[in-house]
Amino acid sequence: MKSTLNSIISKQKWLPIALANMVFAALLAIVSPVFLTLSNFQSMLIQSGVTAIMAIGMTFIIITAGIDISMGAILFFCSALFAQLLQDTQSYWLAFSAAIACATLLGTINGVLVTRFKISPLITTLATYSIYRGMAIHLTGAQNIPVPREMGFLGNGKLFGLPVPIILLIVIFILGVYLLNHTRLGLYAKAIGSSARSANESNLPVTKVTVAVYAIGGMVTGISALILLARVGGLQSGIGIGIEFTVIAAVILGGTKLTGGSGTIVGSVFGAFFLVLIDNGLNLVNASPYIYDIVRGSVLLAAVAVDRLSAKRQESRLIQIKKQRLEHNHATN
Amino acid sequence: MLAANSVVLIASIGMTLVFLIGGIDLSISTVISASAVISGLAMAATDSIFIGVLTAIGVGFSFGLINGILIGFFGLTPFITTMATQLIARGIAFVLSQGIAVQGTPYGLMDFGFLSFLGVPAVTWIGLAIVIICIILLTQTQWGRHLMLIGSNRNAARFSGINVRFTEISVYCLSGLLAGIAGFISISNLGNAIPGVGDTLLLLVIGAVVLGGTTMNGGEGSIARTVLGIGLLSVLISGLNLIGIPFYDQLIIQGVLIFIGTWLAMKLSARRH
Repeated sequence: MKSTLNSIISKQKWLPIALANMVFAALLAIVSPVFLTLSNFQSMLIQSGVTAIMAIGMTFIIITAGIDISMGAILFFCSALFAQLLQDTQSYWLAFSAAIACATLLGTINGVLVTRFKISPLITTLATYSIYRGMAIHLTGAQNIPVPREMGFLGNGKLFGLPVPIILLIVIFILGVYLLNHTRLGLYAKAIGSSARSANESNLPVTKVTVAVYAIGGMVTGISALILLARVGGLQSGIGIGIEFTVIAAVILGGTKLTGGSGTIVGSVFGAFFLVLIDNGLNLVNASPYIYDIVRGSVLLAAVAVDRLSAKRQESRLIQIKKQRLEHNHATN
Repeated sequence: MLAANSVVLIASIGMTLVFLIGGIDLSISTVISASAVISGLAMAATDSIFIGVLTAIGVGFSFGLINGILIGFFGLTPFITTMATQLIARGIAFVLSQGIAVQGTPYGLMDFGFLSFLGVPAVTWIGLAIVIICIILLTQTQWGRHLMLIGSNRNAARFSGINVRFTEISVYCLSGLLAGIAGFISISNLGNAIPGVGDTLLLLVIGAVVLGGTTMNGGEGSIARTVLGIGLLSVLISGLNLIGIPFYDQLIIQGVLIFIGTWLAMKLSARRH
């Protein structure tokens, strides 16, 4: 029984975080009567939407053993471009398509730089983080720009009885799962993450796939940017600062490893939910907002430590089985 | 200009050592804030600069020790571990200070901030002393040679009997300790312990290190190169300030420079091999 459970967990990397979500949600439900209300759940889902959508893109990038530190800057750039264009032209369609196109372009630039110059993705995207953020502030002249009230539709509005951010999350989630598990792009991304050299030697389109995952990361960041902008109600200078670390935390909590090669989108989305659950719990006990960082950091540490310990245990068990087999062979010979 | 840069200089030396062993320490930036805040509180309570220095160093060292044990002993990934301690340190800095500058630092500290010798601020002398000590540690001691070897080939280092765990833990401790000193110096520069002081430093610190040509893969680079990287960055920044380039355009230029610098350093080292 225990071994089957272990094997299920080792195959379905997202199960631990899903269980953690349920246990923590049950705890909160016991502690607080407010927690189990429909409106609380809805607001939690909407809250996690921005991170979860970005985490889906980040999962693709991390699966190829890459990373994108510039996501927060892309988010900020898109928000700035959208707000500025909307203010200048009053055309929703123009602003909307330009923002999404630009986000994809910025992601693509990351991908091209990473593949063309072969500098580590961390340094490359750290450099573009600085560049994109500077460009965005340059664009708006460091001003806060409000967006019209109709924009709120994207943040809180409802379509077919469901909040729009949740619909967007579901659509992107389904597309992401399909791309990762049922297309060549997903397969090749995993191959590149497992071993870039083997992928190169077996003539996989490494450059194309790598650029594609960064472009996907940029595009979903653009969508998140618009949702966030709608919820915040306007462009503020602090938008997107540090969000890349929250997104990476969600992906890691979901069981995806930074070394690449494997990972699940379900896990990352659950990871994003879990972070919001923690916020919700802290909110229910009226904790100081400054404590949130401490708790998030500790949860992340606990998660990787538990993961590391279970991996070690599994390794030592494998070695034991091998030893037993060797002894068995000796005995029969 | 020199005084303001000594915070970045001291923090970058720690980052260089961590890069050389093949790791990364994202927590340096907010450990600076945490040690500044805690040391500020200690000084406000005791009115003693000496206790403030000790507290800052102790806080930095403790964070480094936590990082080192988690990475060196338990084998966690440096990136995630230090990302988590970065969050924790930031939280601690903001919780203890309630998000505002700590009041009541002793006046003597301001004098220390303005103190200078041969026209060079005292804090810069401290930075230079740390540079020299760390260069000696890295190039003249067994510890330094072990560190370089672990960075260039971890398995070979382990098989040749080097205590990889101890060296790794000590590197993160040192990097934390230097962040603590940087935190204290930030108080004497600004006159107050500010909880957000380290938030924007991460880009500058990593930028200075990679601009100097120390690679993230470990085993290649030196402290002298980082000092060069900082010199380049600070001359650039003050030059841009002088001709009135706004900060956001400076961000763009810094990003481009970091990228091109890293690329050039990589090209040069590839040619040498």
